[in-house]
Amino acid sequence: METKTLRLTLINWRADFLPGQFVQLLLPGVGEAPFCITSSPSDPKHIELTILRRGLVTTASQYIRPGDAVGIRGPLGRPFPLDRFHGRDVLLVATGIGIAALRSLILYILENRKKFKEVTLLYGARFPEDLVYRDEIKSWAEHVKVMVTLSKATEQWSGLRGRVTDHLKEVSLHKDLVAVVCGSPAVMESITNELIKYGLSSENIYVSLERHMKCGIGKCARCLIPGGLLVCKDGPVFSASEISIKAIGE
Amino acid sequence: MVFCDVYATLVLSSKNRMVNVVMPLPIFYLFFNFGAATDILAVICLKSEDGVIMLKLPKQELMSLISELRRLGFEVIAPTRSNETVRLAALSSPSDLETDYIRIINSPRDFLLPSREPLFRYRSTATVTSYGLKIRFPTVEGPCPVTIVPEYTPPKVKIAFFGIHPCMANSIRYLDKVMLSEPADPYYKARREDMFVAVLECEEGDQYCLCKTVESYKVPEGYADLMIRRGGDGFLVRSRSKRGDELLASLKRGEVAGKPKDLVPRLKEEYAFDRTDEAGIDERDASEYVGACTLCASCTVTCPTCYCSDIEDKFSLMDPSNVERSRVRMSCQRRCYSMIAGGTTFLNTKEARFKWRLKHKFPFSERAYQLVGCVGCGNCIAFCPARIDFRKFLGRRVA
Ligand SMILES: Cc1cc2nc3c(=O)[nH]c(=O)nc-3n(C[C@H](O)[C@H](O)[C@H](O)COP(=O)(O)OP(=O)(O)OC[C@H]3O[C@@H](n4cnc5c(N)ncnc54)[C@H](O)[C@@H]3O)c2cc1C
Ligand code: SF4
Ligand code: SF4
Ligand code: FES
Repeated sequence: METKTLRLTLINWRADFLPGQFVQLLLPGVGEAPFCITSSPSDPKHIELTILRRGLVTTASQYIRPGDAVGIRGPLGRPFPLDRFHGRDVLLVATGIGIAALRSLILYILENRKKFKEVTLLYGARFPEDLVYRDEIKSWAEHVKVMVTLSKATEQWSGLRGRVTDHLKEVSLHKDLVAVVCGSPAVMESITNELIKYGLSSENIYVSLERHMKCGIGKCARCLIPGGLLVCKDGPVFSASEISIKAIGE
Repeated sequence: MVFCDVYATLVLSSKNRMVNVVMPLPIFYLFFNFGAATDILAVICLKSEDGVIMLKLPKQELMSLISELRRLGFEVIAPTRSNETVRLAALSSPSDLETDYIRIINSPRDFLLPSREPLFRYRSTATVTSYGLKIRFPTVEGPCPVTIVPEYTPPKVKIAFFGIHPCMANSIRYLDKVMLSEPADPYYKARREDMFVAVLECEEGDQYCLCKTVESYKVPEGYADLMIRRGGDGFLVRSRSKRGDELLASLKRGEVAGKPKDLVPRLKEEYAFDRTDEAGIDERDASEYVGACTLCASCTVTCPTCYCSDIEDKFSLMDPSNVERSRVRMSCQRRCYSMIAGGTTFLNTKEARFKWRLKHKFPFSERAYQLVGCVGCGNCIAFCPARIDFRKFLGRRVA
């Protein structure tokens, strides 16, 4: 996985955003694509985006140099309902680039650590080099419980092995816990189902969905999901009770 | 008033002043018969106590309404015929107006929300060298070489749809729900704001029409300025708005033709279905319907309410720094509609796409706007090369 984190300084404006929201990044002459804001909401003058190389925009963004100018549309979408997380145990589950959707929330939790009870991050990737924020994670681990697991670990890897679902049983899962799940559609669906099996109610499970978004403001119908909700306006954050679980992975 | 339930509004000119006079119909005829001291400029509209009554016009007078609309600065979009196809087009001459048709291949959507719409232009720093295209991103230091000149000009047009059927007037209502909900789309809004609509009511549909199922043969308040229907060898016209009144005031002649009765078109086939049942659509087997589907997307291309779109940033290699951003029409029948990075395609079978279209038209739209997205025009059946008939899939035939 080839990722790059861009730190953007906003000129003459500030973005009052909350964890879970996204922006449309415009690369002049190339195009526009949606990305989660990965930085902390306590700094509205900067926005960080972590971008995985995939197609046109994501590849071009690997060549951006310090000082280059890009365009931003946003912040867009509905954030995580933070007040529903306060005073509770929180489980964050991410796979692959899904960690990008959670970083802003993690940074918020670190800055407001007392507002939350036990916080666990369960992060899965395939190869060691796929891990995003490798160095940062070490400092996160000082304040929250971090479990990193690799499904294609090398011999030198001393951490957990296997998929995230293999390690859910090691987390103390109980009714009052809030879980946030981010990853590829199929993985999010299977983790959500797994968590429900462990007794969590679907209202306490949140997912951040990805669709082929264009307008980001409810005009292009590209992000429609079953139930007729729009990911750009009604989401991207949904509780599993608001949508059908099949819609997560379908 | 006791002796008469029909009133006429006259515009009289008296010493160069315009006066509006409302009077009972017998007295109105007196003016006509004896010639009043003042000039009668026009009969604006005729009102009975329980509503508007109609004026009978020959086709010539109907065309004079078109000329009047053009004089008022409207671009008149009306059904025109070329060979077997009737389509909406900007009228170059009022005599091109086609009033004897059931189905048009395009719709008001194609004028309010064109299939390709430039949104703005901007200048980037791309250059072509003999080594190929070089895109250097602009920098914030020094004179910024990128000028995002959002040459943002909402289109300045006054559109008058003349002679569209009730289903098509209803399609504008659906597009309004989508495009004018917060935040309103400025391009659509600019085209829509000054719009004038003259609806040509239907007496008869073809075997694909389903306006009775979705009740779109009625035109809601605000979506018709004039209602026109056939009557004898001419047309019966009534106004449904102030602007309609004003337009009728331009008429030279027209005779009062009584009060309108609701016109319910005769359809060849009628169906009943549940508009909110998403699970039902999912559960039913559509394989017999989609077997012959060629994925041509005609159903969404000819649908008056399909609006989904893609965004393109385009430049020519001759002038790569000059970038144009456009909105172009998309279709859920295409694979790329639902493909996301990583390769997941949410709608990856013909069946899933067929059902998706129906879910968007019915349960999704009911939920979002309390309004179905299908206006019953039948285009998606009539223009389907495989004649896939969603009515049979969704419900049952009742007549
Ligand atoms: C709310 C949201 C948040 C996202 N956050 C992140 C993030 O934090 N980090 C990250 O790396 N990626 C994120 N993505 C995915 C990212 O938007 C896509 O990788 C990107 O749009 C691909 O653009 P491209 O020009 O490089 O690809 P293209 O060359 O256009 O196409 C490559 C692939 O990407 C798909 N794709 C194209 N445009 C979009 C689009 N607008 N939305 C979704 N898929 C698209 C195409 O179907 C194709 O499969 C997010 C997507 C959404 C919807
Ligand atoms: S779904 Fe079919 S019948 Fe309904 S409005 Fe669209 S084209 Fe017409
Ligand atoms: S998603 Fe399909 S049915 Fe809905 S507007 Fe787009 S093309 Fe039409
Ligand atoms: S991205 Fe256009 S409607 Fe959601």
